[in-house]
Amino acid sequence: MTVTELFLEYMLRASKYALILLSIAIIVRCIRSMLREQYEPETWAYIRTHEGKLPVNHWEVILGRSRSADVRINQKGVSRSHAVLTRNDYGVWTVYDIFDRSGVWVNGERVGDRGIRVNDKDVINLGGVNVRFQEIPLERREKLEEKRSVPGRGVSPAVTLLELTLFQLFLLMQHAMFAKEENLPTIALGFAALAIMQWSCYNAMRVIGRSGFEVETLAFYLSTLGMSVAATSTPDDMYKQILLTLAGVILFLIGGWWLRSLQRTATMRMPVAAAALALLAVNAVFSDVILGARNWLIIGGFSFQPSELVKVAYVYVGAATLEHLFREKNLYSFIAFSAMCVLALALIGDFGTALVFFICFLVISFMRSGSIATVILAVSGAVIAGLLAVTARPYIGQRFASWGHVWEDVYDKGYQQVRAMSAAAAGGLFGKGAGAGWLKDIVAGNTDMVFAVICEEQGLIIALCMCLAVLTLAFFAVRSARFGRSAYYAIAACAAMSMMLTQLALNVFGSLDILPFTGVTFPFVSRGGSSLLSCWMMMAFIKGADNRREASFAVRPGERMRNAPPPEVEEEEEDEDE
Amino acid sequence: MKKITRRAFSVLLLAVLVIAGLTVYVLRYIDHGADWALYFNRLNSGSSGELLDRNGVVLAAFSANENDYAADPLTRTANYHVTGDYWGRTGTGILSTYWNRMQGFSLLTGTTRSTAATTRLYIDAGLNNTAYTALAGRKGCVLVTNYKTGELLCMVSSPAVDPADPNAEPGEGAYINRALSSVFVPGSIFKLVTAAAAIETVPDLDTRRFYCEGKGYIAGVEINCSGEHYTQTFEQALANSCNVAFSKLATLVGQENMVKYVRSFGFLDPHKLGDIPTAAGSYPTEFVGDPELGWSGIGQSTDLVNPYAMLRFVSAVGNGGVLVEPTMINTGKAPVKSRFMASDTADKLRQMMAYNVSYAYDGDFRFGGLPLCAKTGTAELGGDLTSHAWFVGFLDDETHPYAFVVLVENGGGGLSVASPVAYRVLQHCMRLE
Repeated sequence: MTVTELFLEYMLRASKYALILLSIAIIVRCIRSMLREQYEPETWAYIRTHEGKLPVNHWEVILGRSRSADVRINQKGVSRSHAVLTRNDYGVWTVYDIFDRSGVWVNGERVGDRGIRVNDKDVINLGGVNVRFQEIPLERREKLEEKRSVPGRGVSPAVTLLELTLFQLFLLMQHAMFAKEENLPTIALGFAALAIMQWSCYNAMRVIGRSGFEVETLAFYLSTLGMSVAATSTPDDMYKQILLTLAGVILFLIGGWWLRSLQRTATMRMPVAAAALALLAVNAVFSDVILGARNWLIIGGFSFQPSELVKVAYVYVGAATLEHLFREKNLYSFIAFSAMCVLALALIGDFGTALVFFICFLVISFMRSGSIATVILAVSGAVIAGLLAVTARPYIGQRFASWGHVWEDVYDKGYQQVRAMSAAAAGGLFGKGAGAGWLKDIVAGNTDMVFAVICEEQGLIIALCMCLAVLTLAFFAVRSARFGRSAYYAIAACAAMSMMLTQLALNVFGSLDILPFTGVTFPFVSRGGSSLLSCWMMMAFIKGADNRREASFAVRPGERMRNAPPPEVEEEEEDEDE
Repeated sequence: MKKITRRAFSVLLLAVLVIAGLTVYVLRYIDHGADWALYFNRLNSGSSGELLDRNGVVLAAFSANENDYAADPLTRTANYHVTGDYWGRTGTGILSTYWNRMQGFSLLTGTTRSTAATTRLYIDAGLNNTAYTALAGRKGCVLVTNYKTGELLCMVSSPAVDPADPNAEPGEGAYINRALSSVFVPGSIFKLVTAAAAIETVPDLDTRRFYCEGKGYIAGVEINCSGEHYTQTFEQALANSCNVAFSKLATLVGQENMVKYVRSFGFLDPHKLGDIPTAAGSYPTEFVGDPELGWSGIGQSTDLVNPYAMLRFVSAVGNGGVLVEPTMINTGKAPVKSRFMASDTADKLRQMMAYNVSYAYDGDFRFGGLPLCAKTGTAELGGDLTSHAWFVGFLDDETHPYAFVVLVENGGGGLSVASPVAYRVLQHCMRLE
């Protein structure tokens, strides 16, 4: 070995360890900030009972006698879940009857189907029990807000982002050792573009006074690995990856901004549902078959998978505000919508994606109804449908037949899985270096077997960190539900993460022969434009649910949201914040 | 919202499944990572290596895009159980068990590029060819080791397959290395073990006389014999392979002592030839009455012996009671030696085995005057099954210190069937340096 070779060998080795340490540091910092630190809920109003003042911590609360009621009024006559009290963007409070047993009256007026507006000091009668609604003046709420913790105090987001930038630098260094010389400029541009995007986003957040940046950091971390996969597998196509990432980030920002208004979000649900179904219909008619699934629309040379966009629409349509959850007809129309989506996907032969939708459907319908029976019913229906699909489409049955036996047929049915497992194991814990693997050149290596590609090139530890990043986002979505203003955001965030987790499971375990091989993408990392766009848009839902103080750009700061003026002066112009 | 918060935990169920799946993968990776990695990465890592016999004959050679074996079909087939194959159809071959070292794989670093990793064996491929030819397609095995250095010169298990011929029809148990992975009823070769135990535990052994009139009785149970040997000394009884005398001896030694010696000679334990594990034999260790003990002393009862364990025994006898552990791969390390039995016992056994050859087997005629110490075995299997033919022993020769085990499974008589195989192999051995 010459001195140069020896030097390069040591550089490679050092960069491997650095990448692993940085990965762990980034994930651990995000976990600490997102899942370990304690945050407090907002307080929007009070309900005065004979027992004292009970805080209203959300825009949507259940009044009732049970422990699961948000405002617990433990008196005879009150049902377990008696009424729903909601606030809208303009500060107008409305009370709805759940029609469980006895009725609800406001100032003596019986609450009907559409609810009744509640003003400061109004008396709400719940089955004979009187409570008084009390608004909190803006100045008082500002004081309350100041007591809440702001993210980023214990764990500085800038330091985490700096670590990510170093991570990108070391990754680029590895590519420099293995890539063809003519590809190097565009690869360098790819990582530079990522760094610029993430710091621009960060600075924009600072400018508007937001300090929660963990979701973005994790998304950029995953996008960085995606960029690395693109650089190793399709280095001639780097511009596309850069543009798609940029488009993804922009859509993420637009989506987050859109979610700021609950009214706007909720009223657009029906049009979005219609658009999604139309897109699926167009897809079923005009799409081209690529790799077994008729799931590609080719428009002006760009191919994209409509189902990826429908994923976002599905979450958008599936989530609902609390007062809607108690009306069964709302759930039925959602079930009908879901059935149409899943059927359309099954028709075009994309069973992996159909399964992703189905799992998401289970999560949404459970969160909406709380009914295990619904879930069991849906699962048994799906099992029957699945069996029909297997008999109707023999190639799907084949995948199940080879499941668990891939090593018995390494040149045909187990072709992809055995290569994925072999390459993944060859990488060991530390990997062979970015660009040094061979699995990327196997058909669908950079999409369906991307976990193995990362294992081979970056090692098992980083591949596990990649999964941990998605898991962290999921845990965060679940944790955020507790502080969310509206059930809509909580359900949307959880639904989005359930999709990502399902995709992760099908992608990773399918390629490793732990589950049958279905060929779905790994969020952010798998090569694929539409998938990347949809993943970034999904992140908007997480941001929408992040109700920590001054954390998310997708949430309006509470201390600047005025109460609605009393109804007599309603014609006065209503304020938007900022 | 509290309700929603609670229901949100359903997402964690998915998270738990993901974590469980990843755990399964990591555990499988620890278990099978080496197999997976080396399956394709030899072709892709740029590694290359060679497996050579003691004389530099290439038994296997691989590089980035080739998997080769020896050039000649007989060498490939006769040495199949030494080399194994690239696809791991037999678990005991070098290509399966030493793959990691030849390839460079560890769970931490994955595969590493290794170039020209040469593994040199003590095996003599030509000697293996002779042994395989001598077995002539019969089921069986041959082992030869240098009892002074521990170098394993010959390891053949028949039938074998030609690993380079993808259409080869494998014979019965062709992927099992009988020498390492199987156990067999030992029959009379086990009298050597009983003799060793008797030498150390039975008083006045040299003055005792054993009477045989074609059969004998232990506690009223008949023990049949191959002939009528009448009055014999201990030495003559071994040469006659007298069942009556040796079943009697086993009862004199007692079960406790028999088990102690059988165990200390390593017949009940698995061993390791390098990294390759061997099968453990068996012997009645729970209490049995004297008749059964008698049968166990002549290699019947529930006795089962692994050929490699037998090789260790005769090798230790040949080397004056000191066992030099056989090794197959030349790593340049000093051989591992240990006291296996008292040197007096080994000397006595050596004399008796030499007497066997000259007195009972007509050694000058049959073995052309080789300095041979040996014992036959014709292990009866009951029913209609043909006996296993055994021939085990060593050359009492300073320049050719070789111990051997020959087994022909269901072959017939030890002297008539197994000893000619051994003779051909030993003649080849005598020509070695």
